[in-house]
Amino acid sequence: MLRVRAVFEKTGRSKYISHLDLNRCMLRIFRRSGLPIWYTEGFNPHPYYSFALALSLGFESRCEIMDFNITDDAMSMEEIRDRLNAVMPEGMGIVSVALQQKKITAITHADYSFVLETEVPDKLKADIDRLLSGEEILIEKKTKKGVKTVDIKPDLQVLSCRTSDRGVEMSLRLPAGTQTNYNPTLFVEALKNAGAVPFEASGMTRTAILCEDGTDFV
Amino acid sequence: MDLKDKIEKHLLEVQKPSRYIGGEVGSVIKDKSKVDVRFAFCFPDTYDIGMSHLGMKILYSLTNERENYWCERCFAPSEDFEAVMRENGIPLYALESLDPIRDFDFIGFTMQYELSYSNVLNMLDLAGIPIFSRDRTEELTQIVVAGGPCVCNPEPLADFFDIFILGEGEEVNLELIDLYWEMKQQGAKRLDFLRRAAQIEGVYVPQFYSFDYKEDGTIAAVRTSENAPEVVRKRIIMDMDKVYYPANFVVPFTEIVHDRVSVEVLRGCIRGCRFCQAGFIYRPFREKHTDTICRETKSLCENTGYDEVSLASLSTSDHSEIDPMLTQLIEYTEKEHINLSLPSLRVDNFSEALLEKIKKVRKSGLTFAAEGGTQRLRDVINKNVSEEEIMNTCRIAFEGGYSAVKLYFMMGLPTETDEDIVGIAELAQRVVDLFYSIENRPKGKGGVQVSVSCATFVPKPFTPFQFEPQDTREMIEHKQKLLLDSVRSKKIKVAYHDPNVSQLEVILAKGDRRLCPVIYAAWKKGCKFDSWEEHYRFDLWLEAFADCGVDPAFYANRRFEYDEILPWDHLDYLVSKEFLIRENKTAHLSKTTPNCRQRCSGCGVNKKVGRDCFC
Repeated sequence: MLRVRAVFEKTGRSKYISHLDLNRCMLRIFRRSGLPIWYTEGFNPHPYYSFALALSLGFESRCEIMDFNITDDAMSMEEIRDRLNAVMPEGMGIVSVALQQKKITAITHADYSFVLETEVPDKLKADIDRLLSGEEILIEKKTKKGVKTVDIKPDLQVLSCRTSDRGVEMSLRLPAGTQTNYNPTLFVEALKNAGAVPFEASGMTRTAILCEDGTDFV
Repeated sequence: MDLKDKIEKHLLEVQKPSRYIGGEVGSVIKDKSKVDVRFAFCFPDTYDIGMSHLGMKILYSLTNERENYWCERCFAPSEDFEAVMRENGIPLYALESLDPIRDFDFIGFTMQYELSYSNVLNMLDLAGIPIFSRDRTEELTQIVVAGGPCVCNPEPLADFFDIFILGEGEEVNLELIDLYWEMKQQGAKRLDFLRRAAQIEGVYVPQFYSFDYKEDGTIAAVRTSENAPEVVRKRIIMDMDKVYYPANFVVPFTEIVHDRVSVEVLRGCIRGCRFCQAGFIYRPFREKHTDTICRETKSLCENTGYDEVSLASLSTSDHSEIDPMLTQLIEYTEKEHINLSLPSLRVDNFSEALLEKIKKVRKSGLTFAAEGGTQRLRDVINKNVSEEEIMNTCRIAFEGGYSAVKLYFMMGLPTETDEDIVGIAELAQRVVDLFYSIENRPKGKGGVQVSVSCATFVPKPFTPFQFEPQDTREMIEHKQKLLLDSVRSKKIKVAYHDPNVSQLEVILAKGDRRLCPVIYAAWKKGCKFDSWEEHYRFDLWLEAFADCGVDPAFYANRRFEYDEILPWDHLDYLVSKEFLIRENKTAHLSKTTPNCRQRCSGCGVNKKVGRDCFC
């Protein structure tokens, strides 16, 4: 049995597929591909596949991770890739396929980029700088136990932040994985709550899924 | 900003955005510069419901087989997205190209239930298309058409549509589009096209017909103009093995009501239950061969990736090859880990062997439509099912491990008395008692559960009960209370419909052209999504009737006479009016009519089709 890890993209119209719907969508992709995917054993056998991280509705990405098993040991990675790509919906595609190396728990961070659209980029940039230079960035995070206030400042790394004619383009590194997950919209909310000039976030994109040492998780 | 950007700008503000952006696997994208005719196939309800409709899947694929025609899908937006559309000037658009449907050649609606009528007006308005046919351009474009079961009496919608297509669309739709394209190239005007379209069998152009009324409100005469035929006959497909069936479906991302492959196994019905419109308007009975069914199942499962398939028909177990068909299908579905579901099974030919086969694929509740609480009433409605058969089937089911049974009934049926209502509760009680009398019944906590679901009877055109009045709300409320009071066991759960909803249904089903202004007025007052409990505003509908001076009881609670000209008498659904009158009289004698396989009851279909229904 081949333990396979695929990197896939979810862009364009497919960014409106929710995580729940993506599960169902992927099941049908596998069925259409006719690949010998491994089924779980038990009372209700179903194809086994799992996603490393959920991607929020409306986010694009070219670095999503999905694991599954192929029962035919002789199958090449190219064939798996091509057969999946032949039956993908618009905007989705397999970027690469390889055997699994690292454990899913090796994921610690993810990078995101987005644009904060505004008429007054310089003012917004100043607002952002002020928020980032404060002692803490408090956000309300919904958890299973209820809403709690969290300071995301210690975990937030700003990779870039520059003005353009559309507004302010930012990229952030945030904790991700089995322990802590921060969504970049938390930062956007914090900025809004801090009384920044009017802006709208757009082009939310996950650009990398990373390990502790900063290398790409594949 | 182009329309796509405008849509995307607001898409994340609404529920289930994937319903509004297209891009599903199986959707057909064409190069619009190479397309001659564009058809917007509209379903007047939300995506989740409309995407489940089999007819749309067939006609969508069929039209798109033609390289120079492009058929796209369009649904009613939910309230939240409609608000976004209206606020931001987003016109109703089709999901494949995201182009506004007002620029299309055809805007086609499928009319599946009366309570979707107000949505048609709302969608036309959202599209920026004039709501009344008479207000549309003289040019040859924006032809608004409708098909589906409701257009067997399209008169309440007559002012809003240019064309109604009667019967099955597989052939006539293409004939209509072909004619359009031919005339478009010649520079014809809208009226020229409608005149010639009216000559196609199955095409009804309502503006060429007008009605005179008597003083008592009934119809005095129907007049035709522009050389349109006096009677328009519905279209049917004769050979079910040769008719087009899609090899692929559009596979939605979001979960829809019927999220599976559907394979049609037969059309029409041999049963002749007197309340059932589908049982009459889809005659004659025609089967697909087992091999065709299996081939279509396989290609659809492979192309869509669905892991569930359902057999679609009015009564699947009436297929003459049901046993070999299921054997062959189960062989394939088991191997491929596909669930097979079989709705529309009848109680009376539910064999032990059949149950074994179903059990192999699925184990959930069983549903039986008994329809009437007493044998007398079941005879009146020609539901040829005896209590013995119901009990027998339940016994087989219980012994086979089932512990939940759903029983469907109707309330307000012709000749119904309090005794028949009490009979519903008694029948349900005997099913409960039966369960506990069985030695090897399923053991587990909870025991048996019998769900009684009671709909209010809605008399429909082209049925023997088309002449019947509906019970008034007071009568229905009395019967509902009586039923609740008659139930003694906690194992029996009773659910019933809001009689106000059924009343609007019957009015729209049996109405005439004088209802057009009422529907318009109701929509103007805010009525839409009438089939959704949370949106239904009967008070606004009553206001609309009052404003237009139309008495709802004239349509709902009046007996239509046998010799009266009915609003749908100029439409020919192959079943003769004499037959319907005969059946109505037989009903009132509490006598049954055998099914078509046992003996031809002379409905007139075979004469018109020119061959026997069964050879």
